[in-house]
Amino acid sequence: MRRLLIGFVALIVLIFLLCVATLCFGAVNIPFADVVQALFSPGADVSSNILWNLRIPKMISAVLAGASLAVSGLSLQTVFRNPLAGPFVLGISSGASLGVALALLAGIGFGSVGVLGSAALGALLVTFVVMFAATRFAQTGVLLIVGLLTGYFIDSIVSVLIAGNSSESLRVYVAWGMGSFGRVTLGDVWIFVSAVVVGMVLIGVSLRYLNAALLGDDFAHGLGLNVKRSKICVLLGASLLAGATTAFCGPVAFIGIAVPHLAYLLFKTTNHRVLLPGAALCGTSLALLAGLFPASVPLNAVLSLVGVPVIMWVLVRGSGARM
Amino acid sequence: MSELKKSSVLLECKDLLVGYVRALETMKKPFDFALSSGTVVALMGENGCGKSSLLKTFAGLLSPVTGEVSLEGKPLVEWQPRERAQAISLVRMSSAVPPRMSVSEFIRLGRSPYSGIFDSRTAEDNRIVDESMALLDVAVFANRPIAELSDGERSRVFLAEAVAQQVKVLLLDEPNAFLDIPRSHALFRLLKKIAAERNMGIIVSTHSVEYAERYCDRIMVVNGGAMRVAPAGEARKSGLLDWTEAFDAI
Repeated sequence: MRRLLIGFVALIVLIFLLCVATLCFGAVNIPFADVVQALFSPGADVSSNILWNLRIPKMISAVLAGASLAVSGLSLQTVFRNPLAGPFVLGISSGASLGVALALLAGIGFGSVGVLGSAALGALLVTFVVMFAATRFAQTGVLLIVGLLTGYFIDSIVSVLIAGNSSESLRVYVAWGMGSFGRVTLGDVWIFVSAVVVGMVLIGVSLRYLNAALLGDDFAHGLGLNVKRSKICVLLGASLLAGATTAFCGPVAFIGIAVPHLAYLLFKTTNHRVLLPGAALCGTSLALLAGLFPASVPLNAVLSLVGVPVIMWVLVRGSGARM
Repeated sequence: MSELKKSSVLLECKDLLVGYVRALETMKKPFDFALSSGTVVALMGENGCGKSSLLKTFAGLLSPVTGEVSLEGKPLVEWQPRERAQAISLVRMSSAVPPRMSVSEFIRLGRSPYSGIFDSRTAEDNRIVDESMALLDVAVFANRPIAELSDGERSRVFLAEAVAQQVKVLLLDEPNAFLDIPRSHALFRLLKKIAAERNMGIIVSTHSVEYAERYCDRIMVVNGGAMRVAPAGEARKSGLLDWTEAFDAI
């Protein structure tokens, strides 16, 4: 119990500090007093402008992305009973990439939906393929293979699109692929928020299944769970979270696979009542930390450069840890 | 507590034929069977005769090919999954365990059928979990990962989880497969004890004639595509166990 309390309080304090830092530091540093003033009585000055148009959307986007990817990754690792599973193993990120590639490189704009909408459509498309497989095949292993194969298939379509393209749009596509928390605007942040809320709810109502799923589907069935329905709920939720994040921030792969392990090592439990919020907080901290680096360094690079040593260190320190 | 516990039929099947529709040739004759409270029934038969399929069918994990299984007089298919999980449990010793889960976390899963949507545990749940751990003598390693336990310890942990589930019917698939002789004796004594004390009905599949005859009330045998059942004391006399010594070579 004490471990839980300390863990949660420490993470919340850390997240608060990182949020303050995100608002204060950047290309232009704004003193804390000015940040507070701009927050509570926004004016027309430069500080307010930077804060409301750049820093606050970036902060919200990092918080949402970190929490979403961590929760998505954790629930997928549980459902697939595989420590290497993550949002990207199911091909969801590839689907989003395809949407963006089609919009940017092939000029298929999907009407008014734009790059963001195309990414979401691509992610959803792959989700439906995987869902279809989920209703056809009971075995989770088959599902994992279907996800991987779909991912490979789509990646090759994308590379064909890339190879036949040498224009300015290719540069934009490559930049999207490097990931960033700075692309969300205050105007469309609510879309991101609602997608994340729906995804979190879908996974939240499957808590009982997630805890039992660690022992396999037969065991979960024996505990009176509707395995098929719960599994679809979790997959849909995880896809929504990963898809929304990929659409808004680019394919930010690292958090989804690594953070669930970090959360386990901090909280030493397999109970998802603790692990899910724990992983969400860990993911948020890592995303905010990575967001503090200057915009010229690609987010994906920062996440791996910061995240890998941190998680390696934790893994080695908790050497009793078992995968 | 009343002195005399009334024996009642817990699990019953009529015209039952189990198996996987396409595959199973092993069980050809439909059969009837009833499991009474407070009794332990041994389920025996050669490898591949359909023991596990039968247990899965009783647990509602597998649909019968023909016939019907009912639990406390109500057809199994009409039970709400959650209520069913409060009444019957199939324990398989071969379940793969997640590497990080501790013994107490696993046994707490037994309270899952009684919990709300957020899978919380009440003080009552915790009391029942502690009681189950005490009964199976697993409290000493409550905080160790299940994956690190010996086979004997793990068997007790699996059993403790089912006890925490407070089911009326307990189905066990070869619980002594990984146990040494003294622990197997202890296990069967324990089954006899909890069946009597908690008025449960237990079906236990095993390859050991000795334990079946000594500790179980009845023996059911799947052999030659048919299911037959007899009181444990009369099984040998009535030729129910002849198949066990029928082979000259492996």
